[in-house]
Order: sequence, then C-alpha cells, then structure tokens
Amino acid sequence: MLELAMGIMLGLLGLGAGCAMIAGIGPGIGEGNAVAKACEAIGRQPECKSDVTSTMIMGCAIAETTGLYGLIVAILLIFVAPGIFTGILKDAIK
Amino acid sequence: MDPAVKKETGYITVWVLLLSLLMEAVFLIIRQWDLSVLFGNLGGAVLAVLNFFLLAFTVSRAVDKGKPEEAAQRVKATATLRLIGVGALSALFIGAFKTNVLATLIPLLFPRVAIAFRPILDRKRGTGNTGTEGSDLID
Repeated sequence: MLELAMGIMLGLLGLGAGCAMIAGIGPGIGEGNAVAKACEAIGRQPECKSDVTSTMIMGCAIAETTGLYGLIVAILLIFVAPGIFTGILKDAIK
Repeated sequence: MDPAVKKETGYITVWVLLLSLLMEAVFLIIRQWDLSVLFGNLGGAVLAVLNFFLLAFTVSRAVDKGKPEEAAQRVKATATLRLIGVGALSALFIGAFKTNVLATLIPLLFPRVAIAFRPILDRKRGTGNTGTEGSDLID
C-alpha cells in the first residue's frame, strides 16, 4: 500500500515539475518579440543603439526571471517535495 | 563585445556578490550554515552571472544583425537552451554534489533583485531615464 501511494505521489510530483516548466516557453517568445522591435527601433534611430541595447538587456533579464521561477518550482518538486511527502505518507499510514 | 554587455554584466556581478554575502550571513544567523551552503551559493551565483552574460551577449549580437525576424528566432532558440542549461547544471549541483537546495536556487533570482534596485540608484545619481527622451523625434 505504501509503495503504491509513494509511486503515485512521485509520478504526480514529476508531472507537476513538467507542468511548471511550461512557464519556460513564454519568456523566450516574449524576448524574441522584444528584440525584433528593438532591431526595428535601432534601424529607425541608429544613434540610440547603446541606450536601446542596455534597456533591452535589462528587460530581457526581467522576462527571463519568469522562466526561472518555473524552473525553481520544478527543481523543488523533484528534489525537496518527495522527502516531505514521504514523511507525511509514512505518518499517515502509521 | 558590446560595451553595454560588459557594463551590465559587471553591475549584475557586483550585486550577485553582495547578495550572496548577505545570504551567507542569514544562513549563519539561523545556524544552518555548512559547506554545502557555501558551495551551493558559489554554484548558483556563477550560474546566475553566466546566464545573464549569455543573455546579454545574445541580445547584443541579435541587435547587431539588424534583421528583426532573424534576431527574434535567435533569441527564442537561445532562451530555451539557456533555461535547459541552467536547470541541468542546478540539478547536477544539487543531485551529484549534494549542495544545499535553497542556497543553490536563491542566487538565480539575484539579477532580478539587482535590476529592481537599478532605477533607485540611477535616480540618486541623477542619471534616471524618464522615458520621455527622444519623444520629440517621433513627431
């Protein structure tokens, strides 16, 4: 019984980690669109290149953080959550 | 290499170092400090700075190309690759080298904190961007 419960729990944790990583798709698309618009802006006003590049880098780093949140949740689900939930399961079965 | 990349990476590196020291101090205060925290912090900090540098380098290279569609494709592809790389290396640190999970993961968010403080520091220096510069050029 305990083995079955742990198997289901670990499977669901893996599924949850996979779902959390869906958050990694969005930032890539957003950064791509932002950089495309920055290219157009630099094409119109080449003298603003350094300002646009600097702002672009910081903006992309902020967008990147959204994906990192998902990554951190996924890693916590894989490495930390199994230990916690196994303890809870063992206590519940006792 | 674009000077903006060097400048911004330097700024982020300084902040990551400062915040890493602060995190070590917090671990010491709550009596949870051990070598796994130190190595986790080192690994996480290096990953955070490396991730930012690669992002900045990719963005500046893409902007230099000057073709919007090509730049967008390049950035989209490398964003996914970078995320996979950061995930794999973090998992390697935690799984293989048994570093502290929190000490490894928290430094990944330090660049975001550094960027959040940027406008405050710029305002104090008097170099703040009001967002209206060049607006006369649009008309």
